[in-house]
Amino acid sequence: MLELSSISLGPLAPAGRHTPRAVRALRLLIPALITFLLAPNLLAQSQTEMQAQSETQAQSDTQAQSDTEAQIDAALADSQSISPVPVFSAGLAYNTFFQGGTPNLHPLVSPVVLIPLGQNWLIESRDTFEINMAPVPGENGYKGYLQKEVDYLQLDYIVNSHMTVTVGRFLTPFGIFNERLYPVWIRNLQTDPLILPISTGPSGAGTGAMVRGGFNIAPKVEVNYATYFSTLSTDTPLDSERELGARAGIYLPGPRLEVGGSYQHLLQDDHSNAFGFHFAWQPSAIPFDLRAEYARSDNGSGYWVESAYRLSQAPVWRHELRHVQVVGRMQQFYVGKVPNGVLPTVNTNMFEFGVNYYFRDDFRLVSSYGRQFAPQGGNMNVWNVGVTYRLALPVGHGDIQ
Amino acid sequence: MKTRLLAFAAFILAAGVLVVPGTIRAQQGTGQETKVASNNDPAPAGATTSRAAAAQPAPAKQEDEDALRLEGQKRFHDNCGRCHQAPHKLPPRMMATAIRHMRVRATITDEDMRVILHYMTQ
Repeated sequence: MLELSSISLGPLAPAGRHTPRAVRALRLLIPALITFLLAPNLLAQSQTEMQAQSETQAQSDTQAQSDTEAQIDAALADSQSISPVPVFSAGLAYNTFFQGGTPNLHPLVSPVVLIPLGQNWLIESRDTFEINMAPVPGENGYKGYLQKEVDYLQLDYIVNSHMTVTVGRFLTPFGIFNERLYPVWIRNLQTDPLILPISTGPSGAGTGAMVRGGFNIAPKVEVNYATYFSTLSTDTPLDSERELGARAGIYLPGPRLEVGGSYQHLLQDDHSNAFGFHFAWQPSAIPFDLRAEYARSDNGSGYWVESAYRLSQAPVWRHELRHVQVVGRMQQFYVGKVPNGVLPTVNTNMFEFGVNYYFRDDFRLVSSYGRQFAPQGGNMNVWNVGVTYRLALPVGHGDIQ
Repeated sequence: MKTRLLAFAAFILAAGVLVVPGTIRAQQGTGQETKVASNNDPAPAGATTSRAAAAQPAPAKQEDEDALRLEGQKRFHDNCGRCHQAPHKLPPRMMATAIRHMRVRATITDEDMRVILHYMTQ
């Protein structure tokens, strides 16, 4: 106790034994009194400052929110007056692949038709016509056959802001590649990921009904979901499997990051289950995309990780390089206990590196080099060079009359 | 010793004289600000709006439009830009169809769809 008071008072502390009791008591009381007097004031000051800051912040937030809501209301009113018109669109591509030294010519046309009906209905369809032409030994020229597929032909009813009901033929919402990144004018690399047929099958589509939508569970957290049932169809090009499944994802607009998962249960054959996870990140500061998927089923399992960077922030030759995108992708596939004809038959690893040049947002030159590693003579180089184009035309007057 | 004790007490007193009035003044200032704010709160919305409108000439409207455009750009990047590049300008009715298509495809909410449509058609 004495030592403490001596330390606290420093030079004012005399020798304890000879100090009058009253003075020693004062030495102890004064700091306690100071603390007692000042602490409430300091506390009150800090509290009032915090309160003032919070009130000011709340006022500015409220004002900003009301301004934004008013602007959005104005936008809603404006957009209500725009009546949609049917649209014909198409993705076109002409790719040349060199797989293990063998050239393959691959023209592709994928027409899309969109027919809006009223305020809440939409008919949409996409078909794919493609030919994979390869040289036949002993013959001249390239031979191939036309492959046709109805990717989707669906009727959508927008129930409300957070739900849409779809019937017909639809893209299987398993993972993100099949639904979002498949079109030739969107995908960064023209080759399909090895795991794509897992749970999407050879056609990548289901025939039945689907409920999907999105909503906010917090101001900075968005949830998207899709659940579906598909029936068996063996009629090409409308083939599908009998299955049900769901996909859900959480998107954070701040860091622009999405994570999600998919599940599917097969209602035929071995009644197997499949699941997958997806990840996507696009930082707002740089034109960079990072996407990844993992999928697992009895047919096999694997993943792909793809990154893409647009050179629009290059320190030199920015005017030219802003059209250039560099892409890298790494993927692995492991054969499952029930091999599937549309998946690799052996464990396969592959990396790819690509460079794309955007003449416009809908017209670009694509190129890539990949190396595949697989046993039983599966090691090979895969080169690709091609062009992709997206056509879009209104069927009727596109401008507001 | 008494002198030191007195000096120490005087120092504490002086510090108290400096700190306490400052604290009180800060509290009064905050109270006034709060009072001003609370005085603004019950004002009729119409009156506030008309005052704001009177005080805001055309440039303010332009600022609102810019803010809405920025909001539309942000929502475009959050929803559409996650998969593809921004398309070049399309006719408004055509864009309305494309946005409805993307609303289904990308699970865009109604509000996002309309803000993006406004942004893409300006």
